[in-house]
Amino acid sequence: MPDAASSFQRIPPDELAWLGTGPIPARAYHDPAYFELERQAVFLKSWIHVAHVCELPEPGCFVRRDLEFARASLLIARGRDGVLRAFHNVCTHRGTQLVEEASGRQSKFTCPYHMWTYGADGALLSAPDFEAFHLDKPACALPRVALQECGGMLFVNFDPAAPPLRAWLGAYAERLEQMPAARATTFSQYSYEIDANWKLTYDNFQENYHLRFIHPRSGGAGIGGDNPFGYPASLGFDGPHRTQRIWSNPAPDLKPFQRAAAMRGLPAVAEQGLLDLPFGRDYLAFFPNLFVIGTPTQPFSHTVYPISADRSRGVVRLYWVGEDGNASTRFAREYALAQLRDIHCEDIAMIERGQKGLASGALDHIHFQSMEALCRHLFNEVDSRVQAHARLRGERP
Amino acid sequence: MNQASSLPDGFTALEPFVAQWGLSGTARRAAQRTASSPEAREAFFEAASPLLEAALTWLDDRDLATLAPAGRQLMDLMLSLGHVALAVEIQGPDEVKSAVWRDRMRIDRSTADQGISSCSN
Repeated sequence: MPDAASSFQRIPPDELAWLGTGPIPARAYHDPAYFELERQAVFLKSWIHVAHVCELPEPGCFVRRDLEFARASLLIARGRDGVLRAFHNVCTHRGTQLVEEASGRQSKFTCPYHMWTYGADGALLSAPDFEAFHLDKPACALPRVALQECGGMLFVNFDPAAPPLRAWLGAYAERLEQMPAARATTFSQYSYEIDANWKLTYDNFQENYHLRFIHPRSGGAGIGGDNPFGYPASLGFDGPHRTQRIWSNPAPDLKPFQRAAAMRGLPAVAEQGLLDLPFGRDYLAFFPNLFVIGTPTQPFSHTVYPISADRSRGVVRLYWVGEDGNASTRFAREYALAQLRDIHCEDIAMIERGQKGLASGALDHIHFQSMEALCRHLFNEVDSRVQAHARLRGERP
Repeated sequence: MNQASSLPDGFTALEPFVAQWGLSGTARRAAQRTASSPEAREAFFEAASPLLEAALTWLDDRDLATLAPAGRQLMDLMLSLGHVALAVEIQGPDEVKSAVWRDRMRIDRSTADQGISSCSN
């Protein structure tokens, strides 16, 4: 039997030096001017995760998603033809927001102002006294936004020239399709708003360097032996996206109730074949702001939506196959949610503290070590887009 | 079922905890964890955690959708116990300082909440 104390081999820092080793400009994490360039060059030109297909199982099902970075409210609906589409949630008459409900199911959407009525495919069906407008109904359809799906995850893109989602996701598209989330029929969710830049927030979840310090109790199972920081077993990069394989602690420090709770969830997960999926220890980070974790007993996604240079919104979803089939499954799922929320609340406390420190402009630079390579990779990918966009506009990046 | 108890036979020892912890809705259970005292959490954990396996085994023999009120009460107690266990067994002395931040993370949806009205948390 292998010695638990010799299970870990740290990735040599030189293997990651191609990402650069120098300091990172601090203003990228607090400057409103930099954020505005990011908004234009990154968020309005990337595929952004907004929903999951299980939210829209039937024709007429819809969700509303408000995306501050685009100053837009979107209506995502499944048409009578079964096709999923995204529209701007805006009546084409005079711009009134069409839908206030966060989700629902209906075959038509009627603007309360002058009763213009649209189908779930976005077509204008009727409008009172329409002849007086000198317009054709087809020209008055709801404005479309590109919507595509991979592994059950729905993404939108505001750039009319965007590449197809699959090309954007690259080699990790196939991995996403083998995550538990791809099989999910339901999910649990919690969300938060945070006084912090989106990258500062997201970066917290890209490195394990902090685990032993701010999660000494809640994150205890992921550190130990000769891997006291819980560093990843491997890292990978593909275009703007990145991945890490979470180290398997051979002797996790699980408390008795914690172990019992996890065991109660295993039979259903095993029956669903989720224990046999190939990426169960993997974290997939999709540029710019989504990551997905394949842990079978706690599979989740985390999306960090930017609101302003120093404010963001995080949405965490635990994805499940089937409704709660029995009491043990219900118990294990609720425990998994509460456990993850415990860890994340310790993170947001520290992230806000980081933003407060950066906001003064006291630091010109911040620093990433080799085991914070995913943070550096995100900065590199963002900054190259910001610099190119600024050059195009003749602005200072 | 014992006529004097709202819980199934075998679990009546948990009767004193029903009023505080027999709550429907994941967000309500999470909120009660924060609102409760350390003494209340520890007393509930001490009394209920030895019954977790027996309670879930009893409940697993029944259809969740058609559980009688006593069974539903037991289910809600066990779900609350999960939250309380995190406070007592894992967080310990860190529970108080992390509660402030935890409550910033709003539970929007839970698979346990089918048919239950949402709760602001």
